[in-house]
Amino acid sequence: MSISSHHDAIITVSGISKTFPNGVRALDDVSVSIARQEVLVVIGPSGSGKSTFLRCLNGLETVDRGTIVVDGIPLDHDRSNRLEIRKEVGMVFQQFNLFPHMTVGENIDLAQRRVRGTSAADARTVSLELLAKVGLEERVDSYPARLSGGQQQRVAIARALALRPKVMLFDEATSALDPEMIGEVLDVMRALAAEGMTMVVVTHEMGFAREVGDRAVFIDEGRFVELASAQRLFDAPREDRTRAFLSKVL
Amino acid sequence: MSRNSAAALREIGRNPLLRVLVDVAGFLILVAALGALLAHNTAALGYRWQWHRVPRYILTVRDGQLHAGPLLLGLGVTVRIVAVSLGVSIAVALATALLRLSQSTVGQALARVYLEAIRNTPLLVQLFFTYFVVAPIVGLDGWTSAVIALSLFEGAYASEIIRGGIVSLPAGQWEAAYSLGLGRRDALRFIILPQALRRILPPLVGQGVSLIKDSALVSTIAIYDLTMRGQVIVAQSFLAFEIWFSVAVIYLVITITLSALVAVMRRRLVGSYEH
Ligand SMILES: Nc1ncnc2c1ncn2[C@@H]1O[C@H](COP(=O)(O)OP(=O)(O)OP(=O)(O)O)[C@@H](O)[C@H]1O
Ligand SMILES: [Mg+2]
Repeated sequence: MSISSHHDAIITVSGISKTFPNGVRALDDVSVSIARQEVLVVIGPSGSGKSTFLRCLNGLETVDRGTIVVDGIPLDHDRSNRLEIRKEVGMVFQQFNLFPHMTVGENIDLAQRRVRGTSAADARTVSLELLAKVGLEERVDSYPARLSGGQQQRVAIARALALRPKVMLFDEATSALDPEMIGEVLDVMRALAAEGMTMVVVTHEMGFAREVGDRAVFIDEGRFVELASAQRLFDAPREDRTRAFLSKVL
Repeated sequence: MSRNSAAALREIGRNPLLRVLVDVAGFLILVAALGALLAHNTAALGYRWQWHRVPRYILTVRDGQLHAGPLLLGLGVTVRIVAVSLGVSIAVALATALLRLSQSTVGQALARVYLEAIRNTPLLVQLFFTYFVVAPIVGLDGWTSAVIALSLFEGAYASEIIRGGIVSLPAGQWEAAYSLGLGRRDALRFIILPQALRRILPPLVGQGVSLIKDSALVSTIAIYDLTMRGQVIVAQSFLAFEIWFSVAVIYLVITITLSALVAVMRRRLVGSYEH
């Protein structure tokens, strides 16, 4: 397993393991170092631990063993550290998880106002800017229920960008979408990657993963089976399990 | 049953309009029968209806001015006790619900003990316990005792309603809030509670209606609420039928008004989700 050079790493994961209270071992001694501006794609079968890995990176799950350091801040039981890290790490969910009782604008304003203490007017300026970026400026006053799935996910991306994070996590951002809406969301993600955003992307879109990913990791039963450049992993997988998985999904 | 009448019954079962007519007719016959029975029995009892003596207990005119009669005064006391108890019980309920959902083992245990104690003893006993045991020790008057007993009682049931509303929201709402850097308190205040409110409100109103009805028990600790006033009037005037009928109608009017008000409010709240 290759680990990229440490000195420009923004996320360093060292030997983390996670067992859920029901006894399921979701992560088993996982290590990886993610460089600034790198796009790491995570692939693997259902239940292999992809979401758990991602959720550990912003502290939505706690690890049993090992350490995670994000931009120099250790992710431990210290609440203020966890909060600092969450300001630097945005997350996009499969089910969008927009706040249905708030307008699109309010969804994006909220964290700016409550976490950064930004004024209402300044927050809205930023929100409109972010909405323009995902092509939904004119929907600022709509409620999420009025938007298509693809539009909702683009709003969710804008919301995750509201605190100007240095890292974005995507957990199967297109899996809940109708096929005709997948493209618009992937386009936004592609543009973010091109801007140099550091991204960790769990996806079943293998074509997109190979194209946008700098490195790719195949995860199975909570272990990193193979970690390599995205091209190498998709074109010439070395591990039998990786090959078997790719032959099934490609 | 003859073949003809069986066929007629089948016909009625098929025709919806006919079915409604038969249903209503049946109901009217029942009401008429009960009315006749009532009239017959009250006549046998020698009861003389004297509805004309009732209005003065609601409103009286003295020196050309309108004054509230004892029933209206009692209603005022009932409304004040209910209003204060409603506020306190919702605060108690919210605190209990949050304790039960908290990480704190002690907090959870405290909430459980409170809930079990309240739900497994009669309200009347709780009221007496508060008034005759706790109140003398800490120096509470009857009114405060009544409010405390009612609030703790309704708060226990309301807390389960609130907790249910909170846990029924998808976990993704919490996770989205946390991933944006919001703390637990902000997540509750801006994300969880506003959404839970829409689910909580209807059953909570039911609990409010219970509170209004249960408040009649405070008459047992010498508080001159609507029920107590009724009792006093009946003792003095022997208008048992008319007064208890009137008291029941007054309770009915306020509970139904409350339900209607909230139905309107809820439509507004729910409506605001969509556009
Ligand atoms: N909160 C939880 N409690 C108990 N077990 C869990 C929990 N979350 C996940 N698991 C289990 O941990 C394992 C890894 O789950 P995870 O969600 O990380 O998989 P995944 O790779 O994201 O799968 P999918 O492709 O289906 O999303 C699975 O066996 C899952 O059932
Ligand atoms: Mg998953």
